[in-house]
Amino acid sequence: MRWPRLDPLTRRRFARFRRIRRGYYALVVLLAAMVLAVFAPYLAESRAIAVWYRGTLYLPTFQYYPMRTFGQAPPAGWDSANIETDYYRLQREWRTERLLYARGRTASGSDPAARAALAARYPDRDDVVVMPPIPWNPYQSDFWANEILNDIQQALDAGRRGEAEWLALRDGLDGLAAAIDDGKIDALLAAHDGHPKRTLGDLARSGTMASLAGLGTSPPNPPDLRRRHYLGTDSQGRDVAARLLYGFRISIFFALFLVLTGQVIGTIVGSLQGYLGGRFDLVSQRVIEVLIAVPFLYVVIVIAALFQPTFWLLIAILSLFQWIAITFFMRTEMYREKTREYCLAAKSYGASHFRIVFRHLLPNCLTPLVTFTPFAVVGAIFALTGLDYLGYGLPAPTPSWGELIGQALEASNRDKLWLTLAPFCALTVTLVLVVFIGESVREAFDPKPYARYE
Amino acid sequence: MNERRRVLGAFAAAIAGALVPPGGAARAAVAEPVVRDDLAPATGALASPPMLPPDVRWETNNDEPLIGSPQAIRGGTLRYELGAYPLTFRLMGPNSNDFFAAWNRLFTFNFTLVQRHPVTDRYIPMMATHWSVQGDQRTIYFKLDPEARFSDGHPVTADDYVFTWQMMRSPHIVDPFYNTYAKQYYESVDRIDDHTLRIVGTRWSWRPLYDFAGLWPTPAHATKLDAGWVQRTNNQFQITVGPYAIADVVRGESVTFERLPKWWGEGRRYFIGQYNFDRIALRVIPEGRGLDYLRRGELDVITEGSARAWHEDYDFPAVNNGWLRRARVMVDTPSGVFGLHMNLEAPIFGNLHFRRAMQYLFNFERVNRNLMFDEYFRTVSFFEGTPFADPKLKPYGFHPEFARAELARAGYHRPAELRPQGFFGQLWNTVRGIVFTRSDTADVLVNERGEKASFSVIYGSQGLERHLTVIQQDFRRAGVDMQLRLLEPGAAFERALERKYEMTLVGYTSGFYPDPRQYLGSEYQKATNNNDIWGFGSPEVDRLIKVYERDPDAAARLAAMHRIDDIVHDDAFYIPFWRSPFIRIAYWDYLRFPEFYLPKRTEQLSDYLVYWIDPARKQALARDMRDGKRYPVDTEIDKDYYHLRHAVASGG
Repeated sequence: MRWPRLDPLTRRRFARFRRIRRGYYALVVLLAAMVLAVFAPYLAESRAIAVWYRGTLYLPTFQYYPMRTFGQAPPAGWDSANIETDYYRLQREWRTERLLYARGRTASGSDPAARAALAARYPDRDDVVVMPPIPWNPYQSDFWANEILNDIQQALDAGRRGEAEWLALRDGLDGLAAAIDDGKIDALLAAHDGHPKRTLGDLARSGTMASLAGLGTSPPNPPDLRRRHYLGTDSQGRDVAARLLYGFRISIFFALFLVLTGQVIGTIVGSLQGYLGGRFDLVSQRVIEVLIAVPFLYVVIVIAALFQPTFWLLIAILSLFQWIAITFFMRTEMYREKTREYCLAAKSYGASHFRIVFRHLLPNCLTPLVTFTPFAVVGAIFALTGLDYLGYGLPAPTPSWGELIGQALEASNRDKLWLTLAPFCALTVTLVLVVFIGESVREAFDPKPYARYE
Repeated sequence: MNERRRVLGAFAAAIAGALVPPGGAARAAVAEPVVRDDLAPATGALASPPMLPPDVRWETNNDEPLIGSPQAIRGGTLRYELGAYPLTFRLMGPNSNDFFAAWNRLFTFNFTLVQRHPVTDRYIPMMATHWSVQGDQRTIYFKLDPEARFSDGHPVTADDYVFTWQMMRSPHIVDPFYNTYAKQYYESVDRIDDHTLRIVGTRWSWRPLYDFAGLWPTPAHATKLDAGWVQRTNNQFQITVGPYAIADVVRGESVTFERLPKWWGEGRRYFIGQYNFDRIALRVIPEGRGLDYLRRGELDVITEGSARAWHEDYDFPAVNNGWLRRARVMVDTPSGVFGLHMNLEAPIFGNLHFRRAMQYLFNFERVNRNLMFDEYFRTVSFFEGTPFADPKLKPYGFHPEFARAELARAGYHRPAELRPQGFFGQLWNTVRGIVFTRSDTADVLVNERGEKASFSVIYGSQGLERHLTVIQQDFRRAGVDMQLRLLEPGAAFERALERKYEMTLVGYTSGFYPDPRQYLGSEYQKATNNNDIWGFGSPEVDRLIKVYERDPDAAARLAAMHRIDDIVHDDAFYIPFWRSPFIRIAYWDYLRFPEFYLPKRTEQLSDYLVYWIDPARKQALARDMRDGKRYPVDTEIDKDYYHLRHAVASGG
């Protein structure tokens, strides 16, 4: 198949589009974001991109590795052979080994025996875990902020100070680690002024120790760089940034699929209405009027309430209504174009109806299609977000902007600004980009600058 | 009876969000009329006209402790919140089980013939001063309080009870719940004279006063029962027998009760210290906004339903200065059945080992600690919160290693152990990995037939979604794929009743005495659309239910129920969630409570109006708030007068 040669008018339109900077850059940014979204597993994922462990390269994206593979200790009650490695923890563990090894080397000086002992104690100091920039997948609850102090407290209470310090170091609580190391922690926790013995949680809440700020609280937690929650966590402790990214991936592809189906069906129906006219037009137009009268959001909600929709089912349901808008424009375009001479010429050559419609007429009727499609995409993203917000969209725990907005608007979360701002900004930016593109396309396709009146 | 209905209505508010719509559970409880042929005694002895047997021995009980506190001060207006303005002021028929119903019943339906003492559980007089239970354990005679009056001044007579019974059976009330209830429990209600009543229950019962003495008087002189009743009485205020009647309403905004100038019950032993306010002003307040109104001083007390709010929102000057007080009052009430249910008819849950694995994978502590501020208590028993819960039961607990062993016993293994991936499998994985990611279900366990350990959970409450997604992660980690399916609450509940589900999240309320037959009886196993949502049935449980229902020996009944509890626990088809055996209240300092705060069997704050307003303190508070004088802050927020916390904790 040969690429269709663009006619000069279309080429001029594209040139015009490129000259409208706003739309052109919006398109570039949006396309880049979509490409990035396709590769989301390399941007936000709890599995490492690569692990270098004792001379071997592991690629966990492709293969399941249990904790045993890397000698990682499982959480209480689990069996290291049967759960997947916690790569982010592994990374921090090995980094801590590196840290302690370096510290030990400075301490031990040049004594070879001590050095050998040190090397044996920290065997994984040179191993590397390469994590994606956001080391969280969108489904994972992270209760670290609420639980880490309990873990350290338990170790302290049991007199396992080494373990407590290790935990603090591993999770970037350097101030606490130092306090445990030099014994200051005892003074901080000791009973005084008639107050009973304090806990680490009390220290965190009272703000005595800066490195514990924000700990000892259950989700949603504010953005925390120590833990690489760049946009904080939602009310189940899931990373907001990861959920935004995957939410974008889902909604943009959802919108594209939906609009594609809708526009294809709408174009075909509209073209046939306009081209065939007569009884077909009359009847199908009445059918469309009936469909328009149906309050489509309610129908979707009713269907969704009875059968929890999946991605494709939701596209199918929404497609039932998506195709209608474009038929009107295609129909009128066809009515106009079919009376032109080239159409009559094609007819006189004996071309089939199919060929006339799709080969000769359609390329000349594309203006409304091209101009309306970006706005249809906006509508589709809104529809999905709205449905998710109302709880009738994709099943939990699918990442979704609507669900995030829903969380942000809950009474108890109204003061959690990161929950409100993140989806709001993401939605605004995306919709603005798409609208910019749409406006520019409309402008580029506007016949007026070329209209000549003779 | 009214107790049962009330519990059902209150349930949604009681546990962690709306599980079933108010009334939904009530409808469900009667979805299948329970016809107990095997229990109905031979009739025939009832042909004689009702008269007192010559040797009747009247009983009464004036030895129980007071319900209220004698220190209570009378007067003042209690300002409290109302979830929604009543759709109707009727108490039967459509829409009658709403937020306001609890208050509406308080001075009408709750005035039953006798009442159960909310602490000692023994029966005490209410509308009847004396009663006499006959040897057949279903015929009861009542001597009515001759001074009892309706709020319109009319005396209360035996006819008013007969009328109540007729009304409950009437099709004109359009209320299948009461229609079924009347048919199921009452064989006849007869007048002997103005102040003597005979009630015959449908069957022998070891708790006849609980089953057959739940009738209240309906003002027969002022009620016309016909096809227009529902329409006509929509906006008619109830004629009460209690100490208050509605004095004022502002449509959509408020309902105000006012004390009757002269109430017949004044000075009766068990009313002492109750009903202290002169007015009770209920104000419609949007959900979740109660605290704002309390802070502004527009309410005197609120109950706090949200654990998060309880832990985070009560940090403002009025609280820190001791002017606004908080208490978590521990109470002892049936918690019902609330948790994840497995359909025994679904192939995947037919296997006991698989069900047990599910039990071991529910990490209650993690959910409670991180999503619910450690506020709730694990439910263990099927009869939790009733005297019949087996105290020896221990929860399964979170034990992934046991779960794995059970899963292996059920025949589930990691797929690679069974089907090594071939070259094409690897290639496909690589391609997937580059663009998307490794298949998310690749490591879900499979059995010998290649079926995945995968099932869906149907739930109807969005409020519980966050708990489910966290639970889902632990299941997923163990290789069990749990899909979540949110349906509209009615549709979700219907799926449960029709057993068209694999796993579902459902809550049921329970009466003070549980009714295991409608849940576990094998006569319901064959049919659907009843409360046996699991499709459970076993001859042994049938036998034990019979013991519970018919054995005159209390110890035998208790043993039978404990055994049923153990069987349900061992059969592992129900993963019990959590319960909240407390009422969280926040109130201004001038609102005073007795030393025990609320009676042990309180379900909601309005049940027993044992608190009062101290006018001197109210004045002082206004002055001290103006002057900024601080009060000592009560840091002991838990109020556990009856030492229930210990019992709860040891139970799990």
